[in-house]
Amino acid sequence: MNKAVNPETQAIVVDEIFPHAPQVIWKALTSGDLIGRWLMAPSGFQPVVGNRFTFQTRPAGEWDGTIHCEVLEVVPHERLSYAWKGGHASNEGYGAKLETVVTFTLSQAETGTRLRLVHSGFVLPKNDTAYRKMSEGWKDVVRKLDVVAAEQASQKLN
Amino acid sequence: MTEAETITAVMRALADPTRRAVFERIVNCDEITVVELTRGSSVTQGAISQHLKSLKQAGLVCERPEGRNVFYRAEPRGLEPLADWMSHYGVFWRDRFANLRNLLKDIDP
Repeated sequence: MNKAVNPETQAIVVDEIFPHAPQVIWKALTSGDLIGRWLMAPSGFQPVVGNRFTFQTRPAGEWDGTIHCEVLEVVPHERLSYAWKGGHASNEGYGAKLETVVTFTLSQAETGTRLRLVHSGFVLPKNDTAYRKMSEGWKDVVRKLDVVAAEQASQKLN
Repeated sequence: MTEAETITAVMRALADPTRRAVFERIVNCDEITVVELTRGSSVTQGAISQHLKSLKQAGLVCERPEGRNVFYRAEPRGLEPLADWMSHYGVFWRDRFANLRNLLKDIDP
């Protein structure tokens, strides 16, 4: 998809079929009012390459919670892509520095339109392995915390 | 507490191997009492109670008193501070796709 993506980064992919025509979905992706009704209310969005807009999200530490976006690609009824940047270098986890790209791709499916979202460019910090697998569930996370926990415990002893 | 302090509190609570074992047992069942936790453990009920107190303070477990018993269960949001951007957005986008599905139903019935 995005061939320039750094191999050390990872992407989130959500891929679903909607029983609607691509035109309808495209409208929901590119009308500021409609975006506000399913994603978040954008400020200053125009579906034009080079357009800069923002989303306001929950702040963390030195980051004010603003997501800075720039439209990178617009192919009506087919593809929309924008840069999605935020965070601050002083944060860890939620609110850490974030330089990513969000791409929506529409294609025909038997029962409607396939919408594929790729949110790419997540840098996985090398020292973050204990946290990283969070989404795999509780029991797993607890096991992976062992390493970090053991480190903390040994620090406490010293 | 700041984000970093919350993370430290959670990590600290789970750093103790005995406490972590207690937490794992709570995670693995729906609800459990101090007596039941003590039964399967090599430490005293008093020690288990202390560990439960720390886990509660770190937001990892919550309690439900019923009659003379107190039932403990894992707090699903307890490990959230440890989540990174990727797991945040993994949940975020799936949620938003559900919103989108509803919106499309509204505007294009």
